[in-house]
Amino acid sequence: MADLELLDRGYSAIMAEVVDCGRAPHFTELAADLDIEIDAARELMHELVGMTPGWVHPGTDLLASFPPFNMQPTQYHVTIDGQSGWYAQCGLEATAMRWLVPGKTIRIEAPCLCCGESMVLEMCDEEIVSVDPEPMVGYTSAEIGGAADSRPFR
Amino acid sequence: MNLFRSEEHAKRWNGYDAAMVAAIKPVAEWAEIFSNPFFRQRGRPDYISWTRTEEGGAAFKELRSHLPRPVEADS
Repeated sequence: MADLELLDRGYSAIMAEVVDCGRAPHFTELAADLDIEIDAARELMHELVGMTPGWVHPGTDLLASFPPFNMQPTQYHVTIDGQSGWYAQCGLEATAMRWLVPGKTIRIEAPCLCCGESMVLEMCDEEIVSVDPEPMVGYTSAEIGGAADSRPFR
Repeated sequence: MNLFRSEEHAKRWNGYDAAMVAAIKPVAEWAEIFSNPFFRQRGRPDYISWTRTEEGGAAFKELRSHLPRPVEADS
């Protein structure tokens, strides 16, 4: 198991790149960034995923979800201060993206899974800037923090 | 974990489970839950270490207290 200092550096490096450009570094890039061996970076990435509500694509070493973001596109399209290129892991995590980009406006656009009609939510720091339509709700059919193997599917 | 145009839309979704009816909340309420320090602190350079501190543990405990549970789990 990696030491805490390396876990911190790895988590921070992955998050910084995802926030910056919407994609996660490959473990070979993470290795170069952290100045560690490639195998150590691959193991570190899996270790970090095991500590967070994220996941790799099954059977691979490819990071698919690093909450609140998703590398694999979801229905939750996100723009940050008008720039597109991010996806939220889920509708609820989408509301937590603002904490990673202080002072910037997060706009989440998604179709309703029931009817396909569009929804838009805008947030900036502590403020919910707009909700359209107003009665928008969040819902999960599974307990948050439930079994890891169900995460991509709930 | 999804957003819906209204409570009625959530209940009409084919993935809806009545046992988790308590999980239908206005988006503002979910936004408040996802304002817990567990989410706010993700940008700090020592986030993993922080989650293991007393403060991080307290935040996680507080978060868990606000998360809805299935009807069966409460009985």
